[in-house]
Amino acid sequence: MVVLWKSNQFNLQSVIMKKSILQGIATIVLFFATWFALMQIDWISVFKVQKVKDKTEEKLGDLFWEVIQKNEVENKNPFIVKSIDSIVSALCVANDIDRDFIKVHVFTKDDVNAFAVPNGHLIIYSGLIQSADNPEELTGVIGHEMAHIQLNHVMKKLVKEVGLSALITMTTGNRGSEILKETTKKLSSSAFDRNFEKEADIQAVDYLIKANVNPAPFADFLYKLAQNESQASEYLTWISTHPDSKERSEYILKYSKGKAKKFKSIIAPRTWEKIIDELDKQ
Amino acid sequence: MTTTKKFHYEPGEHEAEKASNSYLMSLIAFIAGLPLPIVNLIATLIFYLGNRKGTYFVRWHCTQALLSQLSMLFVNSFGFWWTVSILFTDEMMSSNYIAYLFTALIFNLIEFIATIHTAIQTRKGIHVEWWFYGSLTNLICKA
Repeated sequence: MVVLWKSNQFNLQSVIMKKSILQGIATIVLFFATWFALMQIDWISVFKVQKVKDKTEEKLGDLFWEVIQKNEVENKNPFIVKSIDSIVSALCVANDIDRDFIKVHVFTKDDVNAFAVPNGHLIIYSGLIQSADNPEELTGVIGHEMAHIQLNHVMKKLVKEVGLSALITMTTGNRGSEILKETTKKLSSSAFDRNFEKEADIQAVDYLIKANVNPAPFADFLYKLAQNESQASEYLTWISTHPDSKERSEYILKYSKGKAKKFKSIIAPRTWEKIIDELDKQ
Repeated sequence: MTTTKKFHYEPGEHEAEKASNSYLMSLIAFIAGLPLPIVNLIATLIFYLGNRKGTYFVRWHCTQALLSQLSMLFVNSFGFWWTVSILFTDEMMSSNYIAYLFTALIFNLIEFIATIHTAIQTRKGIHVEWWFYGSLTNLICKA
């Protein structure tokens, strides 16, 4: 009698066990099925997330641009501006990039630096142009900064370092000028994530090759700056914010190997000489 | 989602109140613990530990309340950390993330409604077994 009761109990237990396993699996499947079904909707468009993001980037870009404009001297020499513009235009055309989004500005400053600001602002210091030996080197740096813009690294860096909430606060009026100044400083003088740098380098090489520009001088430029790095020049900002330059120049060369084709320069040697002369005069 | 069943015995007034409280506890903790999902679980766990030596009816319902909180903890924690990573790291908001939030919201809402319903029913001494958690509780909670 006791044995029969125990066996019945055991059967009942295994039925309940089976039932709970099946119901558990069904619940998990239902959860993932709901998630999967909801994933089919483009929520980013439904909630206009991209529009909000673009507006935030636009506002931030304007704010940073205001700060930079106030503190630096923009070089408005039409010949220099036009020449640099032609490099950007050529890269944009060859790579299907929206030219109107990229806004290039040259600033008169001895620092060897170039950096990207939200909303497509690309800042180049005259010191960097002067330290380049040929237009291809400069084109490489411009390509690298354009890659940061196109790959959305600038906004990602800001969100990571300042935080999304602080960025939104900045754009919604209650903005402290000190925070804004500090953040602008971060943009111009602090490094991107190592992976971002590599991604931008590789993307820059692709841009250059598509525009028929030899990427080797870009690698040479990095190598050259890395050599000067040991002399610890206070002006080498671009190199101090872009560490491991030797390693980078090596993988740039490695990546561009075998991709060689007939290269040409975007701007003629005479134009390049004139740019340097104009900058030396200032 | 829930089924009303006859319990092995007729629970007394005091038992019904305690069993109902275990769901109320998770409801209150649910509101307090919205930003931090672990709060729900801790509150229900404390109530469970306090009543594990109670009568079978009380123990049974405390266990069911605890188990339901445990699975929601995984769902909500995942959503919580995903949100944190969007706010403080370079993780971007995506359609998958919003879809997950809606899924979690639907499941939380179902659980919320079921909890209110069960709290009312158990207060009346009616035994309510939930889909999955009911049979799981039957396995764990011995008379």
